[in-house]
Amino acid sequence: MASDHDRRVVITGAGVLSAIADSAAGLHAALCQGKSGLKPIELFSTEGLGCHQAGEIRPFEPRDYLGERNLRPIDRTSRLLLVAAGQALAAAGWTPEALAAGENEVGLVLGTTFCSVRTIAEFDRRGLQLGPSYASPFDFANSVINAAAGQAAIWFGLRGLNTTISAGESSGLAAIGYATGQIRGGRAAAVLAGGVEELCFESFVGHYRAGRLCGSHGESEEVPVPFHPRRNGFALAEGAALLMLEDAEAAAARGVPVLAEVRGHGGAFAPRRTREDGAGAVARAILVALEDAGLGPGDVDCLSVSASGSVESDLWEAVGIATALGPRAADLPVAAIKAQLGEALGASGGLQAVALLGTLRDGMLPGVAGLAEPAADIPLRGAGAENRRVRARWALATSLSADGHASAVILGAPGAASGVGG
Amino acid sequence: MSNNIEEIRTRIKQIIANVAGLNASRITDDATLRDELKLDSLSLLEIGVDVDLAFKLELPDERYKEVDSVPAMVDLVQQRLGELAPQPQAVQG
Amino acid sequence: MKTRIAVTGIGLVTPIGAGRQEVWEGLLAGRSGFAPVESFDTKAFSVHLGAEVRGFDPAPWVRRHDPASMGRASLLAIAAARQALEDAGLDSESVEPERAGVAMGTTSGEPREVERFDDRFLAGELDQVGPEFLSLYPCHMIAAHVARELGFAGVNTMIPTACAAGNYAIAHAVDVLRAGRADLMLAGGADAFSRITYTGFARLGAIAPERCQPFDRNRKGMIPGEGAAVLVLEPLERARARGARVYAELAGYGLSCDAHHMTAAHPEGDGAARAMERALADSGAAPGDVSYISAHGTGTPTNDRLETLAVKRVFGAAAGRTPMSSIKSMIGHTMGAASAIEAAVCALAVAEDRIPPTMNLEEPEDDLDYVPNTARGHRVDLAMNNAYAFGGNNASVILRKCEA
Repeated sequence: MASDHDRRVVITGAGVLSAIADSAAGLHAALCQGKSGLKPIELFSTEGLGCHQAGEIRPFEPRDYLGERNLRPIDRTSRLLLVAAGQALAAAGWTPEALAAGENEVGLVLGTTFCSVRTIAEFDRRGLQLGPSYASPFDFANSVINAAAGQAAIWFGLRGLNTTISAGESSGLAAIGYATGQIRGGRAAAVLAGGVEELCFESFVGHYRAGRLCGSHGESEEVPVPFHPRRNGFALAEGAALLMLEDAEAAAARGVPVLAEVRGHGGAFAPRRTREDGAGAVARAILVALEDAGLGPGDVDCLSVSASGSVESDLWEAVGIATALGPRAADLPVAAIKAQLGEALGASGGLQAVALLGTLRDGMLPGVAGLAEPAADIPLRGAGAENRRVRARWALATSLSADGHASAVILGAPGAASGVGG
Repeated sequence: MSNNIEEIRTRIKQIIANVAGLNASRITDDATLRDELKLDSLSLLEIGVDVDLAFKLELPDERYKEVDSVPAMVDLVQQRLGELAPQPQAVQG
Repeated sequence: MKTRIAVTGIGLVTPIGAGRQEVWEGLLAGRSGFAPVESFDTKAFSVHLGAEVRGFDPAPWVRRHDPASMGRASLLAIAAARQALEDAGLDSESVEPERAGVAMGTTSGEPREVERFDDRFLAGELDQVGPEFLSLYPCHMIAAHVARELGFAGVNTMIPTACAAGNYAIAHAVDVLRAGRADLMLAGGADAFSRITYTGFARLGAIAPERCQPFDRNRKGMIPGEGAAVLVLEPLERARARGARVYAELAGYGLSCDAHHMTAAHPEGDGAARAMERALADSGAAPGDVSYISAHGTGTPTNDRLETLAVKRVFGAAAGRTPMSSIKSMIGHTMGAASAIEAAVCALAVAEDRIPPTMNLEEPEDDLDYVPNTARGHRVDLAMNNAYAFGGNNASVILRKCEA
């Protein structure tokens, strides 16, 4: 595979809004403290359904983060995004003045599964109930799946690259890969990349009826714990998480500190819903990412997986990782942050990446809360409840979505690259 | 809904305030929508929909496109409510 | 030296027909795809026209799965994908699956599934919602279904950048191929007609009551449509090695974001101009090198005026002599499929030196050559395809004649 880059892509900032923290540093701390964001749902009624918990962001007062500008035209999905984007921009030193300056163009590549299916549904329902001439124009503007990315661009003046990527649970890592490719290709110098997803009734009912949520098969116990022997589905969640990716030279010229590097990325697809295809797609995504990074399986120091408590996907992802990395995968430290955050769909990959920044900084990888020991068939035996100290140079984040999208992203600690051979 | 002009104006200001993300008290009786309140085309459309719904006017969009101020909106609503009010019955005989 | 990328196959499902040949000939003949909307009752609306794909039968195209397990946009996409593969002389069985990928664009995904959800919601029958909501609705299922049908296991990306999505998907496919991450990419877009979309555009006052007249002084708006287009893209070297017919090369692309307004373009055509300039720079071309522009040309008063303005900004003196037409005058606005269909049209224009007309053009509002009402023979060395979307997403893609 030909290398598609001369430019290095670095991370100069991050922004997060999640069920357990509203800052990147806060996220890492909360994960390492074992804090869980899963709680009884208050955003909507779950009456008649057998699952009642989610990673709901509560309380969420947008004004606390966004000031006094008009939020009426902006729905919950976009509000979550604006909070994370504002943080990431500020963290990377992109002041409003810098953004307004003519030659600076900051972009946004946003992963999302639905954008706001709630807004779409409410727009439809109001038109049905009151007649089409009383449908809400504001809601229609927010009913396209690239609406959140557009709202953020307007709010912050992000005139650079702007794309929306949908790959279910893998949207976030795919967005990071896409943005990395654009920066390497010289089409952008600074791009926010990650994802957003809102918790809403429509999404919840859909996931419940699809049998993906813990407790959605009538079980009395809800076990949304990654790799757990009795896991029975995930807990849905919401969030927004963005990295500020920049061309390394441009970042150096701006004089901003580098938090980490995006060293490699890869993606693949599982056409059949089988273990062979699912694990195979994960393995291929990882191998492409490693080759892209100029690294080998032996260079990976720790893992951040997308495992969420899904009966099948957790296993297939783990098998795929073990296939790609070989026998040493069994002992690698593993973070599975959905144990505490829940499944935030389009936001998940961004959350995984932002959480890893903390590990790359302080060498601490959070344990998998609630996991005494992984199920016997999970090859990643290093997954457990205890936090682990890691020599964090290269971290591998992976994702396997329920519908077959596999993504892998390799992050490197600052200065990790200088120690690497060919 | 009463035709009382004060109530109409108050309600209209509430609707505009809601769409503009402002406190209604910050909207003057003669405020212009595009210039003073800086409302864009989408916001004006949203206001038109909300006003029409609130007062049950059933007016076409074109009528709202001509409105660019609080007084103009008040006039429009008052006039339309007058048109819609039941006519007094002629006395027979 | 960037890898040269060839368009070797085209698949089209549109309101004026299906299949590359039928659709292209129909466009050149000025065929109209407009008719009163059939898929839902427009009684409560003040407008009633749409550009629907009538009589679409998924059965010949959906061979490995049950069509009932997929939404309409996915079915249209699969039909276009299979057509494109066959058109490229490829058999899905003989393609190396791990090196074959899919990049698709859409505006709404599968909105009819939300409509179904809402119908049940309002009827108090939410218990009727089954697993199908999640297996049909999410927009990433369009790209997933195409790949599942064909067994493609490579890169799989859905780019829902609304009315510019097809161009974004094609641009991404080009990047994937150039990075060596795939040997073959199916790239395009798909969208299905829906009451949600129709209600939205009607609510904005954007739908024309009788005719879609892009660039006409008296134009009254756009007409929503549906459809799908898929292009087969592969490295030119590989295409030549297997003796494939090459319609055109993908010369380059440019993306931009207005960051101005959710539903209205920048008042000076700023984002549109930047996308065009970047596409030209990416292609190593000057405005004067462009032989034909496939316009976004929706027929709304604002879009067409601003688009003309942006073209004049970028092309300067060359603007007046560069023909620019809008096929939306015939097939309406097919949303996420639009720029993919238009990219296919550009590839065909390049291959055959013919350009489609802007129909219903009686009084041009401005002085550009909008190719009024009659198709034209015209040497097309470079064709530019422009697309502008809600949220301010703009994308221009340039196709080039492939010399031997």
